[in-house]
Amino acid sequence: MFSNPVRRLDSVDAPFSRTGERQRERLAPLPLPSWRPLAGWVAPPLVALIILAVAVEIWVRAGGVSVWVMPRPSSVLDVFVSDFGLYFSEGLLTMAVSLAGLAVGTAAATLLAAGVAHSQLLERAVLPIAIMIKVTPVVALIPLFIIWLGHSIEPKIAIAALITYFPVLINAIAGFRDVDARMHDFFRSVNASTWEIFRHLRLPAAVPYLFASLKISVTLSLIGAVVAEFFLSGQGGLGALIWIEQNNLRLDRVFAAVLMLTLIGVTLSTAVVAAERVFSWRLDQPSAGA
Amino acid sequence: MTSLAASTPPVIRHPIEPEAAPAVQLEGAGLTYESKDGILEAVAPTTLKIRAGEFVALVGPSGCGKTTLMRMIAGLIAPSIGTAQVFGDSPRVAQQRKRLGLVFQEPALLAWRSVEDNIRLGLELNPRETDTGMNIEELIEVVGLTGFGRYRPAELSGGMQQRVALARALAIDPPLLLLDEPFAALDEITREQMRYELLRLWGVSHNAQEPPRSAIFVTHSVAEAVAISDRVLVMSPRPGRIIADVPITTPQPRRPEHEHSDRFINNCAIVRAALRAPTTPAVPLDAA
Repeated sequence: MFSNPVRRLDSVDAPFSRTGERQRERLAPLPLPSWRPLAGWVAPPLVALIILAVAVEIWVRAGGVSVWVMPRPSSVLDVFVSDFGLYFSEGLLTMAVSLAGLAVGTAAATLLAAGVAHSQLLERAVLPIAIMIKVTPVVALIPLFIIWLGHSIEPKIAIAALITYFPVLINAIAGFRDVDARMHDFFRSVNASTWEIFRHLRLPAAVPYLFASLKISVTLSLIGAVVAEFFLSGQGGLGALIWIEQNNLRLDRVFAAVLMLTLIGVTLSTAVVAAERVFSWRLDQPSAGA
Repeated sequence: MTSLAASTPPVIRHPIEPEAAPAVQLEGAGLTYESKDGILEAVAPTTLKIRAGEFVALVGPSGCGKTTLMRMIAGLIAPSIGTAQVFGDSPRVAQQRKRLGLVFQEPALLAWRSVEDNIRLGLELNPRETDTGMNIEELIEVVGLTGFGRYRPAELSGGMQQRVALARALAIDPPLLLLDEPFAALDEITREQMRYELLRLWGVSHNAQEPPRSAIFVTHSVAEAVAISDRVLVMSPRPGRIIADVPITTPQPRRPEHEHSDRFINNCAIVRAALRAPTTPAVPLDAA
């Protein structure tokens, strides 16, 4: 019938030391990002990769495998080093396309998500279309984009943007809506405007969601850029290079380009993770004031 | 107990003003939901008047609609029948004039802001030229968080976080404090301290243009309600309605040692009796 207040108190009562202990734990200075554990993460896969390359080298040499089928890892490395300038400059182009697409896609998706988070009508109108785009393999649109946007960098950026769009949209909507109900009540109780609620509550709450989607979309944008470059082999980039060297049956040069793509993928993914770390690290630091 | 009493300064009381517009006036305000099983009554039509300067506690069983009643007063949910008024205007006007200070069971702080920026939040939002506000430094000191202004909420204990929430509510110097089980998540030791700290903070300087500060304090604890309020309103189980209005007779200003007095124990007994027999009010509703 009614809750006994004494029982209730007992149930929430914590051990005496708890508050003090937790306090001390949390007041300890936050650890700065350290590079030392990185060695423990980088060394094992690197060693495994070298073992794999050596194994392939032995297999190709001993088995007499044709260079038209499988190049020697040593000759791939040789080409990669001697023509590094070429792979680097083509790689920069591919990376630029991928980053431009990522920027356009993320910006557009975040803006739309802000609208959708505020309007049920907009959500009903837009979300099914967004899902339709998601289930469509957007690379199928490359020929169309080439007709619409010409034989230049624009269709490549458009594909990279479109392919990154969906994960950002869905995550940003979830982030903008993941606000504490009590916090929202507080904002309303002082008559905060919709913009103020967005700026000071929804947007900061969405930051972890945006980083989560960025981790996915950064690699997707690279895929979009490379596939588009296959179609536009006159416009440069690692995708175009791979296409041309495949026609020349220079598999060592194909592998060298792929190696550069791998390095770009690792760089971009690491950059996102590092940005997230720096950003959330800043969030945990005493601020300099609003 | 004695050491705690010695460290608690006497409470500054606001005069209760019978002439001014009541801080809160509900006229048959109730709330019904439409659900699959038909119409669900969350709060029965309630008539209630809280005078300016009055500290009222609201007790009742879980789920009886105390929080819903508070949200109606704060203008966060519109009553489906009847009217709610705050200082003679609609709750919307009270929001616009920043006359409401809300404190919840959870601190509900912005994790990415420092303690002082969290406290400043109410002043930053919907800024007005007339906002005098409180000195943030002073407020941090008053709630006992000196030196913690630059910390993040996650670096503080639960009790300290709740002090931040209290300071945030007080920063806009609101003439009405709405406290929804503010100490329910705290351990008992902290809870007993916070009781008298709340009374002290409640009386701290306020805008002379505004009516004396009132408060509604929702709690599950009868002792807590009797210890700090001028009167205790008892709610029935769902659909909630106010079934008793118990004036508290322990002397002012309140001190921890009052909790051992016969008067205090008697007052608690009256409230408990009202909670046990929800159909027959133990005390006439117009006793106050």
